[in-house]
Amino acid sequence: MTLSLTVNGEQRSLEIEGDTPLLWVLRDELGLKGTKFGCGVGLCGACTVHLNGQPVRSCSTPVESAVDGNITTIEGLAGNGQLHALQEAWIAQGVPQCGYCQSGQLMSAAHLLATNPTPARNDIVAAMTGNLCRCGTYSRIIAAVESVAGDSLAYDAAAVGEGH
Amino acid sequence: MAMNRRDFLKVSAGTSGTLMLSLSLPGCSGMPTGYTEETGEWRPDAWLEITKNDKIHFTLSRVEMGQGTYTGLTTLIAEELEVDPEAITPRFAPVAPEYLNPAYKLQLTGGSTSIATSWEPLRIAGAQARQMLVMAGARVWQVDAADCSARQGRVVHPNGIDSMRYGQLVELASKEVLRGDVALKPASEWKYIGKQKGRLDARAKSTGTAVYGIDVELPGMVYGVVSRPPRYGAKVKAFNESDLRAMPGVLDVFEAERGVAIVADKYWRARKAQNALKAQWDNTDALSLSTEGVFASYRRAADEDRGDSERSEGDYDSAVRDAEGTETGRVIEAEYSQPYLAHATMEPMNATAWYKNDSIEVWAPTQAPDLGRIAAARVTDLSPDDVTINTTFLGGGFGRRLTQDYIEEAAAVAFRVKKPVKVIWSREEDTQHDLYRPAMLHRLSASFMGDQLTSWHHQIVGPQLLTWYVRNAAPAQYPWAPKFMYGALGKVGLLAEGIATPKDMSAIEGAIGYPYNVESIDIRHTHTDPGVPVTFWRSVGYSHNGFAVETFMDELAHEAGEDAYQFRRKLLAGQPRHLEVLDRAVKIAGWDEPVAEDRGRGIALFKSFGTFVAQVVEAGVENGAIRVYKVACAVDCGQVVNPRIVEDQIEGGIIFGLTAALYGEITFENGQVKQSNFHDYQLMRQYELPEVTVDIVESTVSPTGVGEPGVPPVIPALGNALFALTGKRQRNLPLKADA
Repeated sequence: MTLSLTVNGEQRSLEIEGDTPLLWVLRDELGLKGTKFGCGVGLCGACTVHLNGQPVRSCSTPVESAVDGNITTIEGLAGNGQLHALQEAWIAQGVPQCGYCQSGQLMSAAHLLATNPTPARNDIVAAMTGNLCRCGTYSRIIAAVESVAGDSLAYDAAAVGEGH
Repeated sequence: MAMNRRDFLKVSAGTSGTLMLSLSLPGCSGMPTGYTEETGEWRPDAWLEITKNDKIHFTLSRVEMGQGTYTGLTTLIAEELEVDPEAITPRFAPVAPEYLNPAYKLQLTGGSTSIATSWEPLRIAGAQARQMLVMAGARVWQVDAADCSARQGRVVHPNGIDSMRYGQLVELASKEVLRGDVALKPASEWKYIGKQKGRLDARAKSTGTAVYGIDVELPGMVYGVVSRPPRYGAKVKAFNESDLRAMPGVLDVFEAERGVAIVADKYWRARKAQNALKAQWDNTDALSLSTEGVFASYRRAADEDRGDSERSEGDYDSAVRDAEGTETGRVIEAEYSQPYLAHATMEPMNATAWYKNDSIEVWAPTQAPDLGRIAAARVTDLSPDDVTINTTFLGGGFGRRLTQDYIEEAAAVAFRVKKPVKVIWSREEDTQHDLYRPAMLHRLSASFMGDQLTSWHHQIVGPQLLTWYVRNAAPAQYPWAPKFMYGALGKVGLLAEGIATPKDMSAIEGAIGYPYNVESIDIRHTHTDPGVPVTFWRSVGYSHNGFAVETFMDELAHEAGEDAYQFRRKLLAGQPRHLEVLDRAVKIAGWDEPVAEDRGRGIALFKSFGTFVAQVVEAGVENGAIRVYKVACAVDCGQVVNPRIVEDQIEGGIIFGLTAALYGEITFENGQVKQSNFHDYQLMRQYELPEVTVDIVESTVSPTGVGEPGVPPVIPALGNALFALTGKRQRNLPLKADA
């Protein structure tokens, strides 16, 4: 089927079977390799993207259910030539180890701050619990999110990348 | 272009025609050095490349899988080269003799060896290049090189004002000849070692631009999936080939060495075809064991064979007789076991291969590219020289990517389809067709005379890993050997173990290093291998021996009626580094202060990979589940290169160990793995994160590893905490809340 999506602010249309998971459409049809395959069933969070402002597991989201949707991936998190405040925090705190899960972690964190700019520790933990990290960088993730959440100026910059 | 062995053969035959080949090859340098006029690049050695335009590339011979080589090794060379590590662009090394890991004589990243084995060579490489640049600058200025210095990528004139960029000097520097050794900087002058805190790969990994194996994209690339038989060792008997060939996008369906391969134009189409696969398997040579059967076979083996003596001090048998024959004497015995464990790297196994008549190129997240070369040669009509391995970032390794089965599969598929092809494993395939941390059994006993511990006996029961690893590792050590010799090389590798090749320590490491001062020590290994594929897993033998040794020590402390910390402490006279980390961990944890009523504290101390680690865990049981509240950790890994990465590796090791202690278990039924994905092979999640404190001992001793040593002690420390809380001793893993 021919379908169209808005990905990182750009309208894309493509010919693809509707049951293809959004993940493989983003990665292989649109060349956006930043979103990762981890488990294929929505258990690990490595494939997290935003669909119409909501975090979804793209590995188990058929592309037909995202038709005409507005999608933001890790590649679209930065805006106006500026990294998202969370990305800056991730770099400053040295969050990634192997880094494979980090696109998903960042997308979950970005959604949290977009809906709750001043989350308490519990809010952060709850929002990030769906994202597995085998290297165990969990405490750096919390510290990086808190460093942005605690800084309202930084948060203004954080809002920039959210395109919706 | 690196000279390959085929070229060497031609040259050698043309000039001498002798059979000196195999003797001269190991010294054959793979990487050219010197100055290249056209590109303006100077390669002082196999690691560095500095251009006229001041671009500095560093060839990273140890792969980056999260453990921090990308930053740590770059820091070592930057320190002596006198440039900011951020100014250097690392590249992943091709396969070449210069990049062998001296610890293994293989181009392998593992065993927490990267910093330890690079500590001197990389600083020397940086210092030599810097010295040649300084000499070139001195020559231009007509001054004494000893009066010049180097700073931030520039050579500085003795007047302290004039300077020249390295780029301006590379051509001249390439002609300088070093005489004698170049002195390394004293620690007092270090700008980055021990101070560098950032990660050079953090930006790429926070923007989705770091390229992992699974991200490789080639023109006209197709996708492969392989259905392997549920029971290890089974063969393909029949499958509905024509049904699958008729499915959309399917390009090929065929019997591969390990199962049924399906190739399609898109990944999802290959998976859909795989869902329609109806395969019959020939189970003649397949495993039929169950987990219970494995442990029963271990117990039989242990009963029948006391095992090879791996360490013997004093006279254990008479110590036991004395204890049994005396009123104040006692003998304590216990049996421990640990299950099979999967690696569960976040990036599932994958590799991309492109076969082109007389060569094959492979892109893969591998811990051992030279073994990957053997693997690709083995399944094609090519020799290892015709194989190029391009290493990517690794989405986790933990030992899994030391074995090259995923490269072998991708190369075999590429050889068949003659197109670039990416083979990706599903999470289920990754979990069920792993090579596992072996299940192990331990029998421990010890004797007391009064309150004096007089003997320690540890019988380790289970397989060794070299048996499973030698298949590609032995040929990789002799890459010029023809392929028909690969089988023989593997056998010779095993026969020569401990003579021509290193002794296989995988079952006994950590047990034979028992640090406590006890008069009679008897440590044995009963070798038995049930046939389940096994390999290295973060901290390897230490991962199971740590639990057995440090839990049994806790049992003995309890038996002696002593504090678990003090009991260990008094047996560690003359072991200052053990004592230091033990004392520090206890101090952070507030060991002497009372713990909340519904919590317990446990302690453990374990040295692995040259690094000393002590941990105190505070844990409880909440809503029927074990809850870890705090981990206090002290570590002595010698000189620290990057304090934050050390902290992260130790903390990551703690999470990895706790995951094993709380959840880790792969079980078999009729030769088939029962777990498949993260719902039944669980990893610790954010909400379970304990408060972890890592205290690093300041040291000037040569650095040792940090990737693995955080894992072993936390498992017994948690078990000991639960014992303190409940009074029930758990001797099998994973730990249970309701034991």
